[in-house]
Amino acid sequence: MAGAIIENMSTKKLVIVGVILLFFQAFSFMVGGPTTAVHYLATKCVDAAKNHQSTKWFMPWGPNQCEKIRTFDEAMAKKIEANNIVFAVHIPLPNMEMSPWFQFMLVILQFDIAFKMHNQIEDGALATVDVGLAYRDDMLSEWTEMAHSLEQRKLNCNFTTTKTYENEGRYYECELLPFMEVGSVAHKYYLLNIRLPVHERKKINVGIGEIKDIRLVCIHQNGGFTQVWFAMKTFLTPSILIIMIWYWRRITLMTRPPVLLEKVIFALGISMTFINIPVEWFSVGFDWTWMLLFGDIRQGIFYSMLLSFWIIFCGEHLMDQMERNRFSVYWKQVGPIVFGSFCLFIFDMCERGVQLTNPFYSIWASDVGTELAMAFIIVAGICACLYFLFLCFMVFQVFRNISGKRSSLPAMSKGLIFRFKFLMLVTLFCAAMTVIFFIISQVNEGHWRWGDHTVQVNSAFFTGIYGMWNLYVFAIMFLYAPSHKRYGDQSSGQCIISDTGANSGEDIQLTTTITHVDGPTELYKMTGKEAQE
Amino acid sequence: MDVCRSTSTTRGRRPSAGSHQYLTLTVALLLLACSSQLLLVDATNNWWSLALTPIQRPEMYIIGAQPLCSQLSGLSQGQRKLCQLYQDHMTYIGDGAKTGIKECQYQFRQRRWNCSTVDNTSVFGRVLQIGSRETAFTYAVSAAGVVNAVSRACREGELSTCGCSRAARPRELPRDWLWGGCGDNVNYGYRFAREFAVYNLANVACKCHGVSGSCSLKTCWLQLADFRRVGEFLKEKYDSAAAMRVGRKGKLEQVDKRFNAPTPEDLVYMDPSPDYCLGNATTGSLGTVGRLCNKTSEGVDGCELMCCGRGYDQFKTHKHERCHCKFHWCCYVKCKRCTTLVDQFVCK
Repeated sequence: MAGAIIENMSTKKLVIVGVILLFFQAFSFMVGGPTTAVHYLATKCVDAAKNHQSTKWFMPWGPNQCEKIRTFDEAMAKKIEANNIVFAVHIPLPNMEMSPWFQFMLVILQFDIAFKMHNQIEDGALATVDVGLAYRDDMLSEWTEMAHSLEQRKLNCNFTTTKTYENEGRYYECELLPFMEVGSVAHKYYLLNIRLPVHERKKINVGIGEIKDIRLVCIHQNGGFTQVWFAMKTFLTPSILIIMIWYWRRITLMTRPPVLLEKVIFALGISMTFINIPVEWFSVGFDWTWMLLFGDIRQGIFYSMLLSFWIIFCGEHLMDQMERNRFSVYWKQVGPIVFGSFCLFIFDMCERGVQLTNPFYSIWASDVGTELAMAFIIVAGICACLYFLFLCFMVFQVFRNISGKRSSLPAMSKGLIFRFKFLMLVTLFCAAMTVIFFIISQVNEGHWRWGDHTVQVNSAFFTGIYGMWNLYVFAIMFLYAPSHKRYGDQSSGQCIISDTGANSGEDIQLTTTITHVDGPTELYKMTGKEAQE
Repeated sequence: MDVCRSTSTTRGRRPSAGSHQYLTLTVALLLLACSSQLLLVDATNNWWSLALTPIQRPEMYIIGAQPLCSQLSGLSQGQRKLCQLYQDHMTYIGDGAKTGIKECQYQFRQRRWNCSTVDNTSVFGRVLQIGSRETAFTYAVSAAGVVNAVSRACREGELSTCGCSRAARPRELPRDWLWGGCGDNVNYGYRFAREFAVYNLANVACKCHGVSGSCSLKTCWLQLADFRRVGEFLKEKYDSAAAMRVGRKGKLEQVDKRFNAPTPEDLVYMDPSPDYCLGNATTGSLGTVGRLCNKTSEGVDGCELMCCGRGYDQFKTHKHERCHCKFHWCCYVKCKRCTTLVDQFVCK
């Protein structure tokens, strides 16, 4: 009889594997900051041309810079109208270059609006911005237009002090406005030209207060982080892939067809590999704006697979009198997961999908969009709650059954039960770590000091959690693979499958003469027997 | 940091700084950005004149044989050197000083000393040669103004030396930027600000941008506060400023040891404030003669205190207010001028 490795491996080896995995885990927490936010202040340029349809681009600095004004009072004095003022922002700052290693570019818009008794922000004021984005790859060539759009953003501002003449000139406190999201940074220089067209009769840009300045914050991934991230993925892909092949070989070597649990573990391995494959390397050479969306989808697939795995893992160890081992038994539990992830997928398509064509689009900008987005998120949240309840209930049942039937399961040693509980605890630990790190990275928006080193919680969260789930999947595939210890006894003299698939060439004449039926685990067999009775 | 370094060397070369003011400034205004220290080299420095002298745009004289720094009045030798090094900064330092002075005048509009400027070269007159609270406040607020202006210019891309450059190794700049971004460093102004009290007022803004916009990935950054809030903060520091004296070992110590020792973020002063009630050529006080006061108030802006008991004159005057406003565009509202007749009171 052959059990899974987890049942047959010595405790010493188990500990060694655990320590090695922990070491990799610690390493994945040590990676530096993932993103940088750079501030920009829009330069107010004067468009002297009467016809604003011209495709002229306004540069805030350097050669060919535009004619500037410093304040709007100056514009007033020179009789320049609102439609003739162009807010120009060059990304990045002078002497810098953008790079494909930055992966994405996310721009946030902030208005500096001064309080004036006679020009206050009305309730539900909408700012309409006419915005153009252009790029070029050297300092001398012409700008090429990338996108142009007329966008509306809702101003959510409040004035914290009393509205008196005394306090004129103080700024409103306004919420950040999502402005632009580009999924690849393929060019060196970007230029944003923003206009605030005023049309009194159509009520466009009326009642938005006295705008003093436009500020932008541009967030991008750090090149260094991207490189470490890619390296990590490139390293993890073959690791998981090899263990997956090894695992599946072991399964197919057995005489019986694989059971559901084994198939699910295999599927988990496939989705992990799918998320691991470093297709991002292509973003360095190609201008693939859909990479961001693709990354989201991959991550979504993996997490829904992981959640389904837990349900089935618990269900298969449930030792009740039901015939399981069929996927259809679990539709009730897996249903919410699939539905929830589908909702999030739709939401993501609505936001990042549309951004493929219009980088300035934001689902949060319109009321209908906001409600729709909220609806999707709430539905996904409800699904998550349902799932969690299901899972808790099943885990509770498993533990109750194990402790209740321990006396009637003589084949199972105490150590074996301990190992199952141990894996359960590891799962719980991983889940708890994810939640805890998530909370910490939300609450503490800075760094943790560790002696002289500052650990950036945010990136630790990002790479650490990613590394952790990789190791988790690795460990599961390793520990739940059928053990070869007993094969060795029976198929004496035959070549035995080795720990990795690297020398699979030797495995060709591997025995297929194992006659007895092996279950994936002792426990599994016990439950199966009971179910048949 | 280069600015700071050159400052200290300048200071080292000019050890003639025994005056009270100098001591007040170095110790007292530890919170001061180095930009202010750079300008506080001498006792008789009048760098504020940058705020009043109309400086042309720097590009106009970069090629010119005689750079602007030698034309500017009110700069010491060391400052002049720095000025030449950082010519492109001077406009913004001037702007910042202007903002600082404006804020100072706003915060002190109802006090006997109202931060008024007297002439183009000495700006504040002799008053600031006394190491008083007012001097401390003026330096602090103007330093804050400079920080604000430099940081602003950086964000606009106006200054070539900003960004994450450490001036010492500009060649590695693009590599640093590619590898780690610039973080806080990108705002050159913040480099000053980091040691500066104003940093405490900056608030943190964050954006979530993980999967489906979730907070699995979040980026935060600092936002400098509205300058009025900076002014208010420093005004509070002014009110709680600590009196200091030079101890036996030549070190500064607190006059009244019962109070908590001042932190690097507090304002300290050495000399008592001169009498601001009457004009005095020696101290440079302008006096409150001719100042408007509030008849009904019992505070410092009330006629009783403002006029130092000398009494006041009453007269009627036309007060102009904006009314019947018509919106033109975001930043321009055309208003009519409504005139009302009001009583006003002026100190004798």
